[in-house]
Amino acid sequence: MADTIQSSPWTDDGIDPGAVLLNVDNISLSFGGVKAISDISFDVCKGEIRAIIGPNGAGKTSMLNVINGFYQPQEGTIMFRGKERRSMKPHQAVGQGIARTFQNVALFKGMSTLDNIMAGRSVMMKRNLFWQLLWHGPALNEEIEHREKVEEIIDFLEIKHIRRTPVGNLPYGLQKRVELGRALAMEPSLLLLDEPMAGMNLEEKEDMSRFVLDVNQQFGTTIALIEHDMGVVMDLSDRVVVLDYGKKIADGTPDEVRNNQDVIDAYLGVPH
Amino acid sequence: MEFLNNVFVAPFQDMAAAPDFFMQVVWEGLVSGVLYALIALGFVLIYKSSRIFNFAQGIMVVFAALTLVGLHEMGVPALLAVPLTLGVMFLLAVAIERVVLRPLVNQPDIILFMATIGITLFLIGFGEMIFGGENKVMITEQLGIPTGSFEFEPFGGFLLIEQKDLTAVVGAGVLVLVLLLFLNRSKMGRAIRALGDDHQAALSVGISLSTIWVLVWFIAGIIALATGIVWGARAGVSFALEVIAYKALPVLMLGGLESVTGAIVGGLAIGVLEKLFEIYWGQPLLGGNTETWFAFVFALIVLLFRPQGLFGEKIIERV
Repeated sequence: MADTIQSSPWTDDGIDPGAVLLNVDNISLSFGGVKAISDISFDVCKGEIRAIIGPNGAGKTSMLNVINGFYQPQEGTIMFRGKERRSMKPHQAVGQGIARTFQNVALFKGMSTLDNIMAGRSVMMKRNLFWQLLWHGPALNEEIEHREKVEEIIDFLEIKHIRRTPVGNLPYGLQKRVELGRALAMEPSLLLLDEPMAGMNLEEKEDMSRFVLDVNQQFGTTIALIEHDMGVVMDLSDRVVVLDYGKKIADGTPDEVRNNQDVIDAYLGVPH
Repeated sequence: MEFLNNVFVAPFQDMAAAPDFFMQVVWEGLVSGVLYALIALGFVLIYKSSRIFNFAQGIMVVFAALTLVGLHEMGVPALLAVPLTLGVMFLLAVAIERVVLRPLVNQPDIILFMATIGITLFLIGFGEMIFGGENKVMITEQLGIPTGSFEFEPFGGFLLIEQKDLTAVVGAGVLVLVLLLFLNRSKMGRAIRALGDDHQAALSVGISLSTIWVLVWFIAGIIALATGIVWGARAGVSFALEVIAYKALPVLMLGGLESVTGAIVGGLAIGVLEKLFEIYWGQPLLGGNTETWFAFVFALIVLLFRPQGLFGEKIIERV
């Protein structure tokens, strides 16, 4: 099963492994007088798992929102797949291959697991309105193709038993997994995960960590994630960027970051 | 005893005694039911995709009908006036999205509701400025809608069906069918439903908020035009038409705000029931004119037993 996914073109975004996929350059974002992000730069390389960490209110989620177009930064530029931009709308970001999950789970609660993941494929449906309305011919074949892909993802995430359950009824940990499935269905070249393990128990965290690693290794998907669980972050990620009060205070491998005095101060506090 | 007889026995005896008249009453009810259903559909579509209760649906009916008649008065042939009116409704949808909805994204529902009241007031003023405030006659014949009538003699009685009513019912049926296919089968239709479920999630799978909003307001505009033509053909085109929109409120309560099926079934049910009630109970027992309040009372009674309406979504919340 995994072979079929591997052969798919979703890692093929014209960027060589190891090269810069996303480059965030001097981004500043403020809401009225409140500066959420000031002058932050970092990059994400193709094929890596990049963690963004920091205390509450450090601007991590704002950063993700800037990358996928929910927020428009006042200053700075973003380079994605070699194209530079200041701002774009969320649906354009999706079109370019950026998928994401949310801190507080944004799913179509009334729909089943299957339909939710299928919704992730909607961007790729190409047949025209006429065929769609007839529900026949090319449109039907296309639907079947997408359906197969979705079933692969359901297999991969081991959520077969809940494929027909309305997601509003699922426990939180499974909802998070469905949300990951929907993001995967978009075959993104950059996957943004906002606290994928928040509110999970140990077992669920281990499962989720395994899925994140598998996605990264099997599909070659580049991942940027926000996470509070330091154990998870240090195990999973290749490089870590640390934010505090909207500023970048450290950037490097987990070991470098762990020993950085600024990071220790930010997390433990310093006497003033 | 006599009262109970009048309420529970006599009306049904009357129905059985004159089945042709009964059928006539049901038919009349059905025709107004189709109109209620159409208006309710306009509400449902916009509510489903944006959780906005669109107060302006009624005035959109008037505005569409006025534009059609107005264009014809200016010398545009009737069959050309229809696509032109649709064009105007499309421009209206684009303008509403740009000027009203986009700046109010993420505001509380009540703010958007207020904004639709604003749209109502604007359209009243704008419509009067351009087309004048006097009553107009719908260009029924010019549009090729037959105006004769069929007469039947079921059970040796007499049943009259006006051709324009029949056209309205068939036309509305086709419109609804296409709309249902569109909503359930097409990518855009799915996007509309997804957007109603969760804005954030919809945005993150690549659905464009502004495109979908323009689309639903345009569809609401198409429905408004259809409603305007049908209602205008029966009662003339004037700003008083706006009040028929309030007839859609009990339909929405009955059918549920999110349900297309609910709007159709609710509309037809209220149309038929209020006519039957008026003829067999209202006029003999209550002095008539029950049609003004029957629908509301009926909807209230249904709500007592099903707070989400007959077809509304039961909100699933895990606690």
